[in-house]
Amino acid sequence: MEFYLKVLEITCLFTILVLGAYLMTGLTGLFSLGQGGFVSIGAYTASIAYLQFHLPFPACIVLAIAMGVVVGFVIGLPTLRLHRDYFLLVTFGFGEMVRAALLHLAQLTGGALGVAGIPKLVGLPMILLSIVVITLITANLKRSRFGRDCIAIRDDELAATLMGIPVYRHKMKVFILSSAITSYGGALYAFVIMFIEPNLFNWLESAKLIIITFVGGVNSITGAIITSMVYYSFGEFFRFVDVWRDVLLAIGVLLVTIFRSQGIFGNWELTPGRLRFWRRKAV
Amino acid sequence: MAQQENEITGVIGPNGAGKTTVFNLITGVYPVDTGRIWFYGTETTQKPAHAITALGITRTFQNIRLFRNLSILDNLKVAFGVKSRYTLWEEMARLSRVRREEKEVAELAKSYLAYFGMEKYAEYFPYNLSYGLQRRLELARALMASPKLLLLDEPGAGLNPKEIRELMDTLLKIQEEKNLSMIVVEHHMELVMNICTTLHVLDFGKKIAEGRPEEIKRNEQVLQAYLGDEV
Repeated sequence: MEFYLKVLEITCLFTILVLGAYLMTGLTGLFSLGQGGFVSIGAYTASIAYLQFHLPFPACIVLAIAMGVVVGFVIGLPTLRLHRDYFLLVTFGFGEMVRAALLHLAQLTGGALGVAGIPKLVGLPMILLSIVVITLITANLKRSRFGRDCIAIRDDELAATLMGIPVYRHKMKVFILSSAITSYGGALYAFVIMFIEPNLFNWLESAKLIIITFVGGVNSITGAIITSMVYYSFGEFFRFVDVWRDVLLAIGVLLVTIFRSQGIFGNWELTPGRLRFWRRKAV
Repeated sequence: MAQQENEITGVIGPNGAGKTTVFNLITGVYPVDTGRIWFYGTETTQKPAHAITALGITRTFQNIRLFRNLSILDNLKVAFGVKSRYTLWEEMARLSRVRREEKEVAELAKSYLAYFGMEKYAEYFPYNLSYGLQRRLELARALMASPKLLLLDEPGAGLNPKEIRELMDTLLKIQEEKNLSMIVVEHHMELVMNICTTLHVLDFGKKIAEGRPEEIKRNEQVLQAYLGDEV
């Protein structure tokens, strides 16, 4: 039972990170390979603040989010004007830069040895509550002006500008929001796993977040959440097949990309209206 | 070039004359090298494109540019965004002001769809529509922003003669009902000659003539450069 709970915890933690990636890549079409950098920023800020500066746990979480917002703003300023391909390259560089910095700032971060001895202060209820709140925020944003503007930018940036959307400012909001969510996820991660090290979140982990968003369906929060849950729990439950686990997952991703390019869930969302409809039908 | 209020002006000329470039300059897509642009007393020469739209200039495109992953209704709602009053924080929590405004915007969008006879397509996506309907939707979207000046880039492209006549009637109806100024770039001479009060003729990036349609028809330079014996 303990194993299943642990798997659920990890799966839910990654789902928070996927929701951050969904806002940026799924909704707005910004491909970032630097999400791992923000996870590390959140995880290291929170754990160092707790262990070295003895700040109370809630303050550590707030500090981790604030750090994510500040770094997101600083990185976003020059990069969000770049074309998609260049943005991808710069964010890749950012993620690797964070990793290298964590390795070399050994006095503060522990270098390659990482940070150990972090207490387990986060449990499943807090993670589940976080997912519910972040999902609600994301869903609310998606179905109002903010979300429509994001999709408009993703579909046609020029047409979006000429509809009066300040594209750069809007992308900045998305980037900061996504950075905040991802850093928050990173902070929770540190207090669940109890140990962090610089190589925990490299660019491959960032790429996985993008892949999950795409496989789930770029227009579907439901798709992102369910795919994330399946993807990460699959990884844990099928450890016995060793390296073939990644091959199986890759085949799954390829099949979806070829036969259902809009993602498994496409535009489909599990809305309260749909739930009510099903309940009425069942009755 | 000057545009009179509540008038329809046409910009004609051979391919590559710079007609769409004029639109791109007015809307801020291209930076202006020389000259200045004014709109209701505000200089827009250096303003970014989105700020020019906010002043009340909207446009349609030569090649239709709808948002393919937004429903027809949402395509229209995007154009209203410039007038929305609620903040990002209110959106996150979906406070009552957001819900109220969203309801109002949806009603307005539906009324525009009804105006163009497209209400039954509200939940469709642009790729579900025929070319003619997509053209109509683009026009509806531009109007949703309540512009003072509407720029139409070849609105008749790809339409058959019957659809062209319907478009003419629609544009005249819009201009009359909404007191709107319009500039139309178009190759269909029947359309520009019948709906425009003034015509500007461009050739190789220069204006070679300006006047009422009947004057333009007789202008030797225009006949040589563009019209030939078409009219």
